[in-house]
Amino acid sequence: MAQEPVVGLVFFPAFDWAISPDHPERQERLLYTRDQIQEEGLFDHPRIREFRPRLAEDREILRTHVVLPSLERNITESHRIAAGGTIVAADLVVDGTVDRAFALLRPPGHHANRFVHGARGFCVLNNEAIMVDHLRHRLGADLRVAIVDTDAHHADGTQDVFYNDPGVLHISLHQDGRTLYPGTGFTFERGGPGAFGQTVNIPLPPGTGDEGMLMALEEVVLPILEDWRPDLVINAAGQDNHFSDPITNMGFSAQGYAKLTDLLQPDIVVLEGGYSIESALPYINVGLLLALAGLDYSQVEEPGGLRRPIQSRAITKQVEETCREVLQLWKTREQADLKSEFGPGPFYERRRQIYYDTDNIYESQQEYIRLCPSCPGWRVVYTTSTRNQEPVAALLLPWQPCASCRGEAEEQREKLQGDKRLTQIIWQEPA
Amino acid sequence: MYIIGIDVGGTHTDAALLQGTQVVALAKVPTDHGDLFSSTRQALEDILVQYPGDGPLKLQLSTTLSTNAIVEGRGVPTQVVAVPGPGVNLDSLRFPFPVHKLSGYIDHRGREAAPLDPVELNGLRDVLGSGEGEAAAVVGKFSQRNPSHEQVIGAELEKWYRGTISLGHRLSGRANFPRRITTAYLNASVAQQQLGFVKMWKDVLGKLNIPLEDVLILKADGGTMALQESALKPIETILSGPAASTMGVQALTSREDANYLIVDIGGTTTDLAVVVEGEVLYERDGAVISGYRTLVPAVLTRSLGLGGDSELHFSPDGIRVGPRRAGKPVCLGGEGLTPTDAVTALELAQVGSRSQAVQALEDQARQLGVDWPELAERIIQAFTAQLARAVEDLYRELESIPLYTVREVLNPPDLRPTAVVGLGAPAPVFIPKLAQFLNLPYEVLPFSAGANAIGAAAAQATLGLTLHADTELARITLPELGRQEEIRRPLFFDLAKARSRVEEELKELAQAQGYQDAEIYVVEEESFNMVRGFRTVGQRHMVRAQLRPQVRRVRG
Ligand SMILES: [Zn+2]
Ligand SMILES: [Zn+2]
Repeated sequence: MAQEPVVGLVFFPAFDWAISPDHPERQERLLYTRDQIQEEGLFDHPRIREFRPRLAEDREILRTHVVLPSLERNITESHRIAAGGTIVAADLVVDGTVDRAFALLRPPGHHANRFVHGARGFCVLNNEAIMVDHLRHRLGADLRVAIVDTDAHHADGTQDVFYNDPGVLHISLHQDGRTLYPGTGFTFERGGPGAFGQTVNIPLPPGTGDEGMLMALEEVVLPILEDWRPDLVINAAGQDNHFSDPITNMGFSAQGYAKLTDLLQPDIVVLEGGYSIESALPYINVGLLLALAGLDYSQVEEPGGLRRPIQSRAITKQVEETCREVLQLWKTREQADLKSEFGPGPFYERRRQIYYDTDNIYESQQEYIRLCPSCPGWRVVYTTSTRNQEPVAALLLPWQPCASCRGEAEEQREKLQGDKRLTQIIWQEPA
Repeated sequence: MYIIGIDVGGTHTDAALLQGTQVVALAKVPTDHGDLFSSTRQALEDILVQYPGDGPLKLQLSTTLSTNAIVEGRGVPTQVVAVPGPGVNLDSLRFPFPVHKLSGYIDHRGREAAPLDPVELNGLRDVLGSGEGEAAAVVGKFSQRNPSHEQVIGAELEKWYRGTISLGHRLSGRANFPRRITTAYLNASVAQQQLGFVKMWKDVLGKLNIPLEDVLILKADGGTMALQESALKPIETILSGPAASTMGVQALTSREDANYLIVDIGGTTTDLAVVVEGEVLYERDGAVISGYRTLVPAVLTRSLGLGGDSELHFSPDGIRVGPRRAGKPVCLGGEGLTPTDAVTALELAQVGSRSQAVQALEDQARQLGVDWPELAERIIQAFTAQLARAVEDLYRELESIPLYTVREVLNPPDLRPTAVVGLGAPAPVFIPKLAQFLNLPYEVLPFSAGANAIGAAAAQATLGLTLHADTELARITLPELGRQEEIRRPLFFDLAKARSRVEEELKELAQAQGYQDAEIYVVEEESFNMVRGFRTVGQRHMVRAQLRPQVRRVRG
């Protein structure tokens, strides 16, 4: 990394878009962040360069997602701009225009699964996932990408997209799913048969502060990254773990966030949640930008009487235990008995009910993954939802499928074409 | 009505006399850098000879006084008193002047998050000294949202400080603390000098015995300000030369295009400026002068090291022009070959000795193994191609300016020109070629030499005001006026009210400064609902209004 890194900033506050007027995802969300960055002179700093987002194209979105019943029925232009802006950020880094990039934009994306029937956790399109697939499309399927999601909520959508993808290491640090939406993200969720162990969850107890977050980073995340050796590190930077956030119970501070960024040294940062729009976001984002650009962030703190709570001893102990457990799981991932995890084959079957809180939709999914010794395996997924009641089938090929998986998937497609109950048969082959 | 425009340039001081829309006379004297005042006065006296005296007269001056003082570092010793609060570490910005930090903090809403410390305030006397022959700038973070800290410190200094004092919020209502610090610093450092200048002109004008209605000073945004006002905000007079030139182009062009490109080709540099929807584009944040980034509204110009007298570099890859000046062209007795020599040799213009130009081209052509006319053509080609690339770069830069709404991203503003308007001595040769390259129609203006002075005469007043309103806090702030007021009925204070309020204030201010019939319009506004816990608690409005920048259309 350059001594004096230049940061590309793709700032898109979508000042004219809201989920609904009083929703946390509203016009005002990044207003005070804009004010603070502007007043601090950071848009104007020689090491920070601002870039315009663009609209993501259909093929860029559909490389990652299966959107039902159609793309146009689910997304607005603002979703396309957030996804496109994230792609712009990645391209800036890959092209060498800048050393690092920050996609500071909304709406967020990390609760969006591969299958999209509507909005979940304020998300429709998964910005990071679309970006990662775009990068592999540009640079080749061998690219190794690590995503470190520091949002207070479990990044269940991103986990879902890359659950069986050996090219991606997905680490999520979040408030324990027993105490917060979406109620998942436990240490035993470790990925599918094609990428077992590459889904890493670090659930943290409510009340975890800077000490706990930084401990998890230093004791677990950094060693894992060191071990896995990604080509690119992405930080899905949700800011709702701040002590002032209205919808979570964590104790993270702006100074803590800047330190985390400094330690992690991500190549690309993408904003996720964060709804303490006045007391947290302006300061976190200033600290984050300074840390990314290798500038002095020592004076960044929340002003006037806002003091973060002290992390209790009990919490520290709990975090220590989780760290030990996660690290142990990581170290032993290759010795795991996949037969006992996923059965003898030839297919691993998974049935799920998925709730879309934002749009109040229930989805039922039935998935079959081919357990293949030479590739992550092809998959077939049957899905219906309270919004799209007619069943849809999707055949999913992994990046770099083996010849026999491709052949089998094609055969399956022909079989399904005779099935009158299916309204759509989708073929998704990333390239 | 007669108007005299004077532009103090690097080599010449030009004067133009307009009667209504007619250019009546032009005059030119060499600029005396040791005594700018006397050469300016000389230009005025020369042009006054042409003034028939049958109507009232107005004088509009584009000076380089503050510009030079800043560029040459001749401002008085100036210290900054800053109230930074938490955030970017001010020390890390390495300002090239002393900055004293006080505790206290105003947040992004304009709320006092931490008070000033009376002990520190008392201690300022020891820190700043008596201020004799010096200056101080007082700048707080978010002072545009709440100037009270700056005002308290300013009032404290008034008690005992003998130097000039500049307060940040009076100079700009826009965000950007580092730029506000720099702007206030520079303003304070040249204020004393500008005050002397104002007094001197008042003296001189009193003795001239002409029916002088008004003296106005040109600003970086291409507008004018009252002479008296310039003593308070001298920083706004910087870089008025390039601004005057673009005003000259707008005054003289016969093109009616909404969007066009201005290309001013000189001996050393070529300056580009951009007109969009009939108005010249401003710098996004403000003028940059001598490496200082300010909040001073300024015409956006890009200066290229590309001119008639530029150096030529020959290599197997082709010919590169500039960026340095070669000195005089060979045809005028210089040493190094220049674009002007190529133009002269091909008889596209008559400058000095053609035979000397041809001789120099022949020498160079022999080394390259081509005929000299071929070489001359290639030089002109290279010049044109470089210029066209710079134009493309400029538009690409402008088109990358960030957009923050879905509406704008779907419908980005159209900045592209539909014509090229050129001026400067080499313009008749290069502008048609550039226009051909860009596939656009063009116009080459007459009065190349006097365009700056004509621009200075054709410029009209500009004046702007910002209003911040926060209905939850029930507060209005008018930073440039240094005023804060309570909103009596916040529930009913909507964007329309904010708009009409700032328009009224500006109208009053304009009238007080003698601009009776100026058109006021809103340049920027935004309005947000503030929601806390699923309940709307108020609205935040920002409106910036200004006098519509206008230029008198002039005929030759
Ligand atoms: Zn979240
Ligand atoms: Zn296979």
